[in-house]
Amino acid sequence: MRKETQLATTDKPMANPLIMLREEFDDWAILFDPDTGHAFGINPTGVFVWKRLDGRHTIQDIFSELQQSCEDVPGEAHHHIQAFVDSLLRNGLAGYEYQL
Amino acid sequence: MRIMRSPAKVEIAITGKCNLRCLYCAHFTSPGDVPEDLSTSEWLAFFEELGRNAVLRVTLEGGEPFMRPDLPELIEGIVKNRMRFEILSNGTLITEELAAFLAGTRRCDFVQVSIDGSQPETHDTCRGRGNFARAVRGLETLKRHGVAVTVRVTINRSNVEDLPEVTRFLLEDLGLPRFSTNSADYLGVCRAQADKLRLSVAERSRAMALLWELQKKYPGRLTAQSGPLFEVQDWLKITQARREGWEPEQGRGYLAGCGGVFSKLAVRADGVMTPCIHLSHIELGRVNRDGLAEVWQHHPELTRLRERRRIPLSDFASCRDCEYLRYCSGGCPAIAYTHTGWEDKPDLDGCLRRFMEQGGHLPHVRAQV
Repeated sequence: MRKETQLATTDKPMANPLIMLREEFDDWAILFDPDTGHAFGINPTGVFVWKRLDGRHTIQDIFSELQQSCEDVPGEAHHHIQAFVDSLLRNGLAGYEYQL
Repeated sequence: MRIMRSPAKVEIAITGKCNLRCLYCAHFTSPGDVPEDLSTSEWLAFFEELGRNAVLRVTLEGGEPFMRPDLPELIEGIVKNRMRFEILSNGTLITEELAAFLAGTRRCDFVQVSIDGSQPETHDTCRGRGNFARAVRGLETLKRHGVAVTVRVTINRSNVEDLPEVTRFLLEDLGLPRFSTNSADYLGVCRAQADKLRLSVAERSRAMALLWELQKKYPGRLTAQSGPLFEVQDWLKITQARREGWEPEQGRGYLAGCGGVFSKLAVRADGVMTPCIHLSHIELGRVNRDGLAEVWQHHPELTRLRERRRIPLSDFASCRDCEYLRYCSGGCPAIAYTHTGWEDKPDLDGCLRRFMEQGGHLPHVRAQV
């Protein structure tokens, strides 16, 4: 019988390296998937998060950095970051690394 | 004036060479008709710079892009740098292998093939004997491999009456979802025999009437950014707006006819950056020597062309007393340049009042104009 190996993922999301970040006016940006031609608009906070999806930051790390970088970051921003990352995961724009 | 950090798209004359000598070619005898092409390694280095600057798309044109034996290697460079591409071609050099390669990249938005008639006699009149069959074969080869294709019909004196048939041929026989039209313009080699190739006012009126009916028969399947179809769509809106006293759209009444300099840059086959493939006399810098972002954001000639849209049409004697002035956008700067030597003037080929004064008429509205 074949033995199934369960690979665990880290909790540090990574941007899909194929996706291009194109920064436009006023720190807004689009994420462009060249394989599909689809583009997703993101706001400056989205850009801040995207640039930290390097496999070394947890959602909590990113939230903490955002608090240090900006004034009056509301507590619910943590959930917003999580929701943003979840939407990136659903659209194939980001993922989690597997731990071998 | 706000501009993007880099162009979203770059139009590249990947070669100046072509296997055809079409009578109304905009390339040959233009300043873009340069003797030497950039080498493979130089193009690949430039594609890396485009990737670093988050350029999304490139258009490969020429000349004839399939003349370059290294085209697959160049396209791999585009793919590697996370861009998509489209190709403008005469269709005659497309092989099974090239079509399979393009399909395999998954990055090709489309290949545009030039087909000017429904039969060889019409197409080959201006593009050379045997090239209708070759172009159609190339188009079908691309389709068979699943590459998205489109067609451009260049309207000239020899194919006006064939417009209904070429439309039926492209949309029904070949099953294309849509195609686009333009016309033989006062550019490149067309200038040398413009009277033989460019539409007279009567032929232009006839082409507009035919295209107006064809777009009603095939809704949304005929498109144009220049030429008689574009003009009839724009001019009918202008005449209606004036008649009804509507407020003009933003930018109308100024030289705002071209927005290309806000989103696109072009590169000649020798690597010289220009504002547009049809403004190839304006040299902005050289690839791999002058930085793309620096040229895009700060070159004074680009700034001048962007500020063209602040020049009111009322500055020009030819426009000052025109009843359509508030609704006009001044036309194409490249055509204005080839006629007058200045980009900062209105394009009189695209002038509605001049067209009407010369006896032209628009479908259904002659009585009101």
